[in-house]
Amino acid sequence: MTKVTMTVNGKARSAEVPDNTLLVDYIRENLRLTGTHVGCDTSQCGACVVHVNGQAVKACTMLAASAEGAEVTTIEGVAASKDDLHPMQVAFKENHGLQCGFCTPGMIMTATDMVSRYKEAGKTLDEHAIREELEGNICRCTGYHNIVKAIADGASKMA
Amino acid sequence: MTDQGIGARVLRKEDKRFITGKGKYTDDIVQPNQAYAAFVRSPHAHANVKSIDTSAAEAMDGVEAVLNGHQLTGDGIGNIICGWGITSKDGSPMNMGAWSALATDKVRYVGDAVAVVIADSKAQAQAAAEAVMVDYEILPATSNVLASMKEGAPQIHENAPGNLIFDWEIGNKDETDAALASAHHTTTMEITNNRLSPNPMEPRSAVATFDESEDHYTLYTTSQNPHVARLVLSAFYNVAPEHKLRVIAPDVGGGFGAKIYIYPEEIVCLWASMKTNRSVKWTSTRSEAFLTDAHGRDHVSTATMGFDADNNIVGFKINTKANLGAYMSLFSSSVPTYLYATLLSGQYNIANVYCDVQTYYTNTVPVDAYRGAGRPEAAYLIERMMETAARELGVDPGELRRQNFVREFPHQTPVIMAYDSGDFAGNLDQAKAAADVAGFSARKEEAARRGKLRGLGYSNYIEACGIAPSAAVGSLGAGVGLWESAEVRVNPVGTIEILTGSHSHGQGHETTFAQLVSERFDLPTDNIQIVHGDTDKVQFGMGTYGSRSGAVGMSAISKALDKVEAKVKKIAAHVLEASEDDIVIEGGEVKVKGTDKAMGWHEVGLSAYTAHNLPEGMEPGLKEGAFYDPTNFTFPAGCYICEVEVDPQTGVTEIVQFTASDDFGTIINPMIVEGQVHGGIAQGIGQAMLEHAVYDDDGQLLSGSYMDYCMPRADDVPNYTVSHHSTTCPGNPLGMKGCGEAGAIGSPPAVINAITDAIGNNNLSMPATPSRVWAALQQVSAAQAAE
Amino acid sequence: MDMSGEYRIAAPIQTVWDAIQDPEILRGAIPGCEELEKTSDTEMSAKVSLKIGPVKAKFAGEVTLKDMDAPNSLKIEGEGKGGIAGFAKGGADVQLAEDGNETILTYQAEAQVGGKIAQLGSRLIQSTAAKLADKFFANLRDELEDS
Repeated sequence: MTKVTMTVNGKARSAEVPDNTLLVDYIRENLRLTGTHVGCDTSQCGACVVHVNGQAVKACTMLAASAEGAEVTTIEGVAASKDDLHPMQVAFKENHGLQCGFCTPGMIMTATDMVSRYKEAGKTLDEHAIREELEGNICRCTGYHNIVKAIADGASKMA
Repeated sequence: MTDQGIGARVLRKEDKRFITGKGKYTDDIVQPNQAYAAFVRSPHAHANVKSIDTSAAEAMDGVEAVLNGHQLTGDGIGNIICGWGITSKDGSPMNMGAWSALATDKVRYVGDAVAVVIADSKAQAQAAAEAVMVDYEILPATSNVLASMKEGAPQIHENAPGNLIFDWEIGNKDETDAALASAHHTTTMEITNNRLSPNPMEPRSAVATFDESEDHYTLYTTSQNPHVARLVLSAFYNVAPEHKLRVIAPDVGGGFGAKIYIYPEEIVCLWASMKTNRSVKWTSTRSEAFLTDAHGRDHVSTATMGFDADNNIVGFKINTKANLGAYMSLFSSSVPTYLYATLLSGQYNIANVYCDVQTYYTNTVPVDAYRGAGRPEAAYLIERMMETAARELGVDPGELRRQNFVREFPHQTPVIMAYDSGDFAGNLDQAKAAADVAGFSARKEEAARRGKLRGLGYSNYIEACGIAPSAAVGSLGAGVGLWESAEVRVNPVGTIEILTGSHSHGQGHETTFAQLVSERFDLPTDNIQIVHGDTDKVQFGMGTYGSRSGAVGMSAISKALDKVEAKVKKIAAHVLEASEDDIVIEGGEVKVKGTDKAMGWHEVGLSAYTAHNLPEGMEPGLKEGAFYDPTNFTFPAGCYICEVEVDPQTGVTEIVQFTASDDFGTIINPMIVEGQVHGGIAQGIGQAMLEHAVYDDDGQLLSGSYMDYCMPRADDVPNYTVSHHSTTCPGNPLGMKGCGEAGAIGSPPAVINAITDAIGNNNLSMPATPSRVWAALQQVSAAQAAE
Repeated sequence: MDMSGEYRIAAPIQTVWDAIQDPEILRGAIPGCEELEKTSDTEMSAKVSLKIGPVKAKFAGEVTLKDMDAPNSLKIEGEGKGGIAGFAKGGADVQLAEDGNETILTYQAEAQVGGKIAQLGSRLIQSTAAKLADKFFANLRDELEDS
């Protein structure tokens, strides 16, 4: 067993977990934050993307113990407050960028990270770039058309 | 009128919980005293189970029980059934092999479960499952129909000699043979429809709870049709009688057919919950999903189409061999028969069509309905044939189709279906204009200057949805009726709950169904709640598949709304002292036409429940139900045009333009319908260019993860140009046809027709991977060099 | 999948022949071998730990020597169960030829896997198996030449 301590969505959390506990299992099972999903077991689908110290990470590829002391943000904590929505969340709704909703949290976490990275690097996030950046996130419902639109719209909303 | 009625692009009510991570999927549910199931699965495609040693597993920490198939059958749990009986040409019934939820003496595919471990934690269950030692006697295996058909092939089920499940036919054989014999030109092709893995993003999951004090079971499960699940679990698998079993399908993360069926795991979780007196949870890993979720397609066909001297189709003859896997899944038999061959007349006026279908067992996971289910196979066959015939005849492929279109409705095809409406030429014209087909040759030349091969392909698909009059499907072998139910509850404060037997797993029913009510009673959709997916709340329903929830599910709601509307008008007429005929419902009020007499909508609700002043003899309350049984199938149709560019150096193909013109009848929410089309097209492009479920000759699944099974990613697909050219469906009160599957049905032939056009070689099968396209290009170069 | 290779071993043919049947030497030569015990003249039981692609598994299995034509040729067959990881089966036809004081060993091997290893590692099996076979014979040579 290992004691892990981290800040999740702004709150200090700690628990004793088996050494091999994945971050995603810690988030889902221990913290009961079930917005972070598990869609595969080979780190391809991106349904489990969260932010660790401000960077998008597939929570299925990281041990909870590796996030010791980290700042973790999940879909439940992405908005400024309980009553607000993050502009990217709004953009997904307004552009019908989701259907079954299962890949959506991972998509939104990837999208906000993508927008921040491009902004920091002073690069343009055009449609082509969005599509390439989504390589690690699989959606089976939308055909990506409206996800790409939503991310472009979310990016302008975040500006 | 409200701006949230029929035809409005209303944003989805359900989105808020999904974008905030508050969706409630089955794996999110935790029950008190919950244990976890892990299945021991066969690594062999075909083997006798000689013994199972569970002693080491049972001794492990946290293990509650290790259970096997003999215990399961010993407790009277019934075999898994196929719900659609097919009769062979010779009048014999299909050969359904026994399928126990846990294999007893024999395993028949890699992933077949032989035992289950129930333990305190997921990790303990998995560790103990590894410690279960199964002694297998390995048998030779087959993984495709051609191998299963062979003389001396391994016998998979004793009651299916030669592995043949049934040999079925439809259409007029002698007339078709005669027509083809006298044809001026015939086109013959061998066409394979590649096997696919459905891959909804949410893996299957089940949480079963047995309540000993009430002798009652509750099952949370990832189902497209919880009521059908309860019926089958009760009537055939003997888990519990229906009134002692509640099935809840909460938020479900995509289905695409794969979540219609009742799988071994749900049955075992329920049974294990009773055995251990604990809640039992199982969630599939993606690896297990590849092994155990029913696959789709997997047809091998030979087809001949005949034309007269004026290029009119005179006959179409098809032989299809379909792989149904190791066992017959719930609707597997209907897919390569009534959902497939009945659409083989396509959009065309063909006097003579004949198809015979042989289905076989193989040592692979069962094959059943996957988005489109039979209709993509039919559309691919016909539309590849039409494009090929046009090339052979030297005529424009769009015009060859136009010339042969069905133009008058109703139109009776030789293969059961009676098309009720459509404007196929209208869809073709709209798609051609949107795709700028006139400008194609200039684009082709421009691409050639960049060293790219540009090609264009059509697909004019038709499908059948809203399946169908219950008596009709019953006569064809279906074990269930395919109607739908609805209940409209107007609460005393005027808010409305709609209970529906349809199930939403991404389709947005909470929004579109509310729009239907909004349209009728001019109320905001916020005042309307859609209730679905719980057998304790909704009495019965048939669930969602086959693009049926609009045409059938909403028609049922519409019928129930008729009854509510009539009662509302009666109450208002009584209170307002007017004639029922003069009562109108608008702007949140129930009014007397042409006067200022009105009562609020909520006041009508309150009146109904206080019952202080109701018409003589009227029962209190405001709640009405309806069952709707469709009078015919519905026939969505359309024209898809795909344009590709191929890099001749690498075979890499890019879809540069994809244009759709669909006829879905009445559209409730264009935003949602477009989304359905986008997703369907992406799945079709996946089938055409990327996806292939591959077993090796020994029955080992080689495409068992996202590393090897190529799901479409965002950079594999284009933006889609989607439009509608609709004719009203005369068969249901709303005029709807259905839109859920069209994209997946119509797109594969358009893609392959475009690629084969670009490379000048028709010999190309799906998935058209770069290596296959490159190889096809080399054939062209070799042929040119030889000349 | 089929693999083959050739080794020149600086030891007399009889030494090589004996070595192939010596559990001590085999234990050192079989990649990942943790235990190997002789159960009869031609049969051994073994525990081998292997990693193929993303799947790491411990196989429990049997090694059988067949078609023995001393000191010229034999067939080595192995079959292992890796629990939830699946199974692996393989065999090698081995020929020994005398070349002065040295021996030329040639082999043709084949391998078959199933279950999770096939599902997740199918792309890697060919190269992994070829590498393992090669490593086995290289180890055998090294053990003989070092001793």
